[in-house]
Amino acid sequence: MKFIVSSTYLLKQLQVLGGVINSSNTLPILDNFLFELDHDKLTVSASDLETTMASSLDVDSESKGSVAIPARLLLDTLKTFPEQPLTFIVEENNIVEISSNHGKYALAYANGNEFPKAVALDNPSTTVIKGDVLATAISKTIFAAGNDDLRPVMSGVFFQFSTEGLTFVATDAHKLVKYTREDVKANQVAEFIMPKKPLNLLKGILASSDEDVTIEYNDSNAKFTFENSELICRLIDGKYPNYEAVIPKENPNKLFIDRTQFLNSVRRVSIFSNKTTHQIRLKIAGAELNISAEDIDYSNKAEERLTCDYQGDDMQIGFNSRFLTEMLNNLSADQVQLEMSMPNRAGILTPIDGLDEGEHITMLVMPVMLNS
Amino acid sequence: MSVDLPIRKIIHVDMDAFYASVEQIDNPDLKGKPIAVGGGGKRGVISAASYEARKFGVKSAMSGNLAAKLCPELIFVKPHFERYTEISKKIRKIFYDYTDLVEPLSLDEAYLDVTENKKGNPSASLIAKEIRERIFNEVGLTASAGISINKFVAKIASDYNKPNGQKIVNPEEVISFLEDLDIRRFYGVGKVTAEKMYQQGIFTGKDLKTKSIEYLGAHFGKSGRYYYYVVRGIHRGEVKPNRIRKSLAAERTFSENLSSEVFMLEKLEHIAAEISRRLNKSKVAGKTVTLKIKYSDFTLQTRSKTLPYFLSDKSIILETAKDLLYQERLNNSVRLLGISISNLNTETKKKPEHKSVSVQLKFGF
Repeated sequence: MKFIVSSTYLLKQLQVLGGVINSSNTLPILDNFLFELDHDKLTVSASDLETTMASSLDVDSESKGSVAIPARLLLDTLKTFPEQPLTFIVEENNIVEISSNHGKYALAYANGNEFPKAVALDNPSTTVIKGDVLATAISKTIFAAGNDDLRPVMSGVFFQFSTEGLTFVATDAHKLVKYTREDVKANQVAEFIMPKKPLNLLKGILASSDEDVTIEYNDSNAKFTFENSELICRLIDGKYPNYEAVIPKENPNKLFIDRTQFLNSVRRVSIFSNKTTHQIRLKIAGAELNISAEDIDYSNKAEERLTCDYQGDDMQIGFNSRFLTEMLNNLSADQVQLEMSMPNRAGILTPIDGLDEGEHITMLVMPVMLNS
Repeated sequence: MSVDLPIRKIIHVDMDAFYASVEQIDNPDLKGKPIAVGGGGKRGVISAASYEARKFGVKSAMSGNLAAKLCPELIFVKPHFERYTEISKKIRKIFYDYTDLVEPLSLDEAYLDVTENKKGNPSASLIAKEIRERIFNEVGLTASAGISINKFVAKIASDYNKPNGQKIVNPEEVISFLEDLDIRRFYGVGKVTAEKMYQQGIFTGKDLKTKSIEYLGAHFGKSGRYYYYVVRGIHRGEVKPNRIRKSLAAERTFSENLSSEVFMLEKLEHIAAEISRRLNKSKVAGKTVTLKIKYSDFTLQTRSKTLPYFLSDKSIILETAKDLLYQERLNNSVRLLGISISNLNTETKKKPEHKSVSVQLKFGF
């Protein structure tokens, strides 16, 4: 087994795949990349058992074979090369020899058969979505997903496909984001919960990609195919909470405000907030929004006033400033709307502008109760 | 038996027919006439009656209907609580000229500990007299006072020479005063307890004294043991300035019994608004919301819910009360609804080392 490949081309692919590999593996074979060669087509795979990703590369070869090569060692080596052709020769004595312009490097390899096979999807349904649309959907929602091991369903992003459109939801029980695309449709209804890790990989790869991504899914797995790569992952098992039920229907109090201005004020004021609760208070009366924070333990205090457009009763509501900052930061609109009903009900943040046709974002944040 | 207790000089000042008298000074046409504050409308209950009305047997907490029957000339006056509060504040100011140990019980009643007073006057009796005179001169109302060694006796004594009088029970008289006292006049003994005491042959303080603490404990529980001590002149209750508020409540009796929840919600909204206003005014908030329901057959039901955070907001009070209302089917039509807020943050406020608690709410799933 022998092939010749461009060093930077290979490095680029391996760096992406390297994201799949866990830093510590109970199964040592998972510390390797699987190289499968079929003449001039080389397929490299990486896996953590939950997620397996494979990319195919064009190489110069006339042989076939399959070996598992230590990922760390290979990546460290490739990083140091300027662009040049590299020759990989797999010897019978379990050694891969790489020849560069500079010299020769020998790595021990394992037999390719030892590498766990990616699951094959039975009877999958298929939906096609543009790469950047999927990347946006992921980046708009994933920050809101939780880390609670006790509620694994909330540690992922809920994909809800229907003939009407695609909806992506993430929540950690304190904040919630619902991202909908009515311009992309599935041909049947499907729901599944994607874990965060593969989504983060996809987000990185697909950002600003114009290519189509084919999503195949069944009850237990999902497969994303794009360009020369495919990613297969196990879905999070369980029932996603009924998030629609927690979106307050009647929100008589509506605040319209410049997003950047609001965000900057919240950021500044929150520096003075209590370091554990990060609580800030919004007091809205007439056309004035008063943002304040206080850290009683250290006698720190801050208050800012902003002009806003407000419809509704005067009200006072407390929020965790970190949630508010994350949410405002994640939006790109110039103007945002914050809808509220009561100081103990979720606030609903939505962008007023900057959305594509058929694109909707709803962000919910639960308040922190004021203590006086 | 004798227990060494520091002898204190306690005055219990009680305004005479306070609400009614305020109405009479504010509206001279009402002077000398039988009036009742509150109790108008079909089912109102009288908050206070003037002495002229009391002669006819009109009492506070009596229904307006019954009062009108007893005294056909009775004039019903709407209460003006802001005015009562205002006058009450003026009276309290007078108290503070004598001592800082003032424990207001309500707008028209307070305990004063004058053992050491700002005037350096050793005679509690003279202080009481002076206070009553000043109240009369400065606000035009009469007050009665009881003076003794503890709150319990002072309170009973203030009733002795009412209206516009005072009664002192000197330390050496306390025991005989209590022995001669009709059991019904003991503070805390109501109709039911009195009935029970009569059955045990207890009619006066003297009879009470013959019973052992075990006996009283067995028959009357914790309050039985309390009576054992008070009848011996032992009452350790100190005059506590600034009573810590434990709860705040408001209620409404309806002119017609309500059976439709829609109407009840409307009433609850008014009650919640009032409570919220009062909570905000006194800058307190509470965690427990209790809904009180009195049915047309006078049976009483309370339902309560404790939230993980302090609330004072009208909308949250209303919502919680609504949940409580819908929690269970109503047994009957309803004549009264009330909301009370307890578990107040006044307790924690007292302790500066107690960190402020704020609660991050979660979605309900």
